[in-house]
Amino acid sequence: MQISINDILSTLYYSREAIEYLFAKKDNVSISQLKSETQLSEEMYHRLKSLEIVYEYENTVVLNDSVIALFEDILQIGEVTPGVIADYILEVKRYISFYQETHHYRFISPIKKYLRRLDKAITREIIKLQKSIDDTYKNESNYRIKLRRLEEYREKRDTLISSIYTLQELLSQNRSTLSISGDAQLYQIIQTLRQNLLENLDYLIEIQTDITDYINKIQYQLDIYQKAQQIKELKDQGLLHFSTNFNEVVANLNPIRFNGHKPPRTKIAIDTLYTDIGQQLCQKIAEKYKVSQLRYRTSAGQLSFNINEKLLDHQILIDNQKLVEKFLQQKEKDLFQFILNYKFPKEVGTLTLDQKLSLFVEILVQYEKQLHFSYRINYITVTDEENRTRKIGYTIIPPQKEKIKQSS
Amino acid sequence: MNIEDLELPRQTHEIFNILARGQFISSNGTKDGMSRLYDVLNDPQNFEKLQSYFGVLKYKIEKGNNYFYFSKINEPPSITEKKLETFEKYIDIIDLFASLDNKITIGARVRPSEIAEECNANVRLKQKLAKIPLYRSENFLNKIREICQMLDRDSFFELEDEASETYKVLDAYGYLLEVINAITIFGQPPSPEHTITNPPDIDIDINPN
Repeated sequence: MQISINDILSTLYYSREAIEYLFAKKDNVSISQLKSETQLSEEMYHRLKSLEIVYEYENTVVLNDSVIALFEDILQIGEVTPGVIADYILEVKRYISFYQETHHYRFISPIKKYLRRLDKAITREIIKLQKSIDDTYKNESNYRIKLRRLEEYREKRDTLISSIYTLQELLSQNRSTLSISGDAQLYQIIQTLRQNLLENLDYLIEIQTDITDYINKIQYQLDIYQKAQQIKELKDQGLLHFSTNFNEVVANLNPIRFNGHKPPRTKIAIDTLYTDIGQQLCQKIAEKYKVSQLRYRTSAGQLSFNINEKLLDHQILIDNQKLVEKFLQQKEKDLFQFILNYKFPKEVGTLTLDQKLSLFVEILVQYEKQLHFSYRINYITVTDEENRTRKIGYTIIPPQKEKIKQSS
Repeated sequence: MNIEDLELPRQTHEIFNILARGQFISSNGTKDGMSRLYDVLNDPQNFEKLQSYFGVLKYKIEKGNNYFYFSKINEPPSITEKKLETFEKYIDIIDLFASLDNKITIGARVRPSEIAEECNANVRLKQKLAKIPLYRSENFLNKIREICQMLDRDSFFELEDEASETYKVLDAYGYLLEVINAITIFGQPPSPEHTITNPPDIDIDINPN
């Protein structure tokens, strides 16, 4: 069958979803799985097979290795293959010897081609090497495999370095031969290559440090594990505190976590407490600690008449509801007497006579429906805080009991 | 001087939140952009600024091998029953990890089910696990889970994938190993004092068996 590049490209394009899936999964993809996951038609599947883009082994499908290699090369991923470099160098050597023999220009072109390829390939291999080393150190979960793979990368690195030396030597040995050709482009390619080779050598030395560092880190951890087992043995024998300086070491550990430091807590800003959120917070706290006196009053509108300004401060702290409840529970005093003689909590402090009067009026307005008005006026003489004698008339609000008496 | 004049990094608040909770910031952590926070702290200029900034609150940033944590200035570390108990438990845990066929190293992925499986198949591991004082758990899997959760809480591990219950071993785990390294066994020649910053040349036997 005659295969054209166009055929391959269009087949790859139309089945790109399947190709991508196969490239990501690599192995263990069954034919039915591939067809259902990627909606690959039967016809297209046969086309892929006939072009040898995919192979079929015992009901599993794999991508052709050269397709995988193509993607990996372009994406600069996959396994490091320093052998490619050696192959290219051999090719360069071959064509140089042909040129030396014939001095024919047609051998210059392949030399240029392979030198260019070498330049790209060496850089690519080094990038792949670095990626693979990092990936192995970070993601390989089995430490033995991890160590072995790192050792393998060390060998690959050595192969790359020796390839670079070989190439450098080859270039300097044949300098005169190559310069005779008078090809400006070749000269340019060699110059760039030389420069890149030097840079790549530096990079490879850095990689070597990385590998050693990684291997030492793993080895360090393994050594510590061995020591941990010894210490554990002593612990099991009850000797931990006597045969080691465990206590001393632990005493000197300074992370705050192990020294009982709690994270710092900041206090809420007073301004925040005056906002809606703050009010909700206050209510929650008041409920939690059962601080009924601290309940924040939301509607000041209930005080519809001119009331002593100073009292407002206290009213925030006085829970009128509780006061009324207490009043209703007792039997001796009427409301005004009750308020007059009531021992307010410490937070509220001492109320002046005027404040008590205001409170009385406020309660009357607020709890009009719950209270039982007797419609009788009582006059009393009281001495206020400035030692003035004042005669006050007020309406008698008896507690519930009297109301029952009245109704009976 | 105003706070703006200090030109603190944007992530200062996040860094403080993590460190002040007593957690470590590891270079290979992924949650809450931890590796980014590590990079910010690892910048010498930022480090200096943050050190003096947090110093006002009497916190000191301590730098370990690929991790950071907070200690308190003017408050020498104390020795308490709880602290001793915690580290005795950590010795048990690290000893268990050391006895696993597949040793847990920094950067490894750990699944409680896999460890429990290995413990089930190995009498020695079974005994070790049974002896670790864990109060809440009965069966092996739950015990291993509790251990992983404890390491996660102390920010030595990180729950990477909840669905498959995979934990990642963070760089801060190295702190525990360093604690072990610092313990001297009396009457034994001190082990070659190796720190990671100055590693010795070790001839590695890659095929221990």
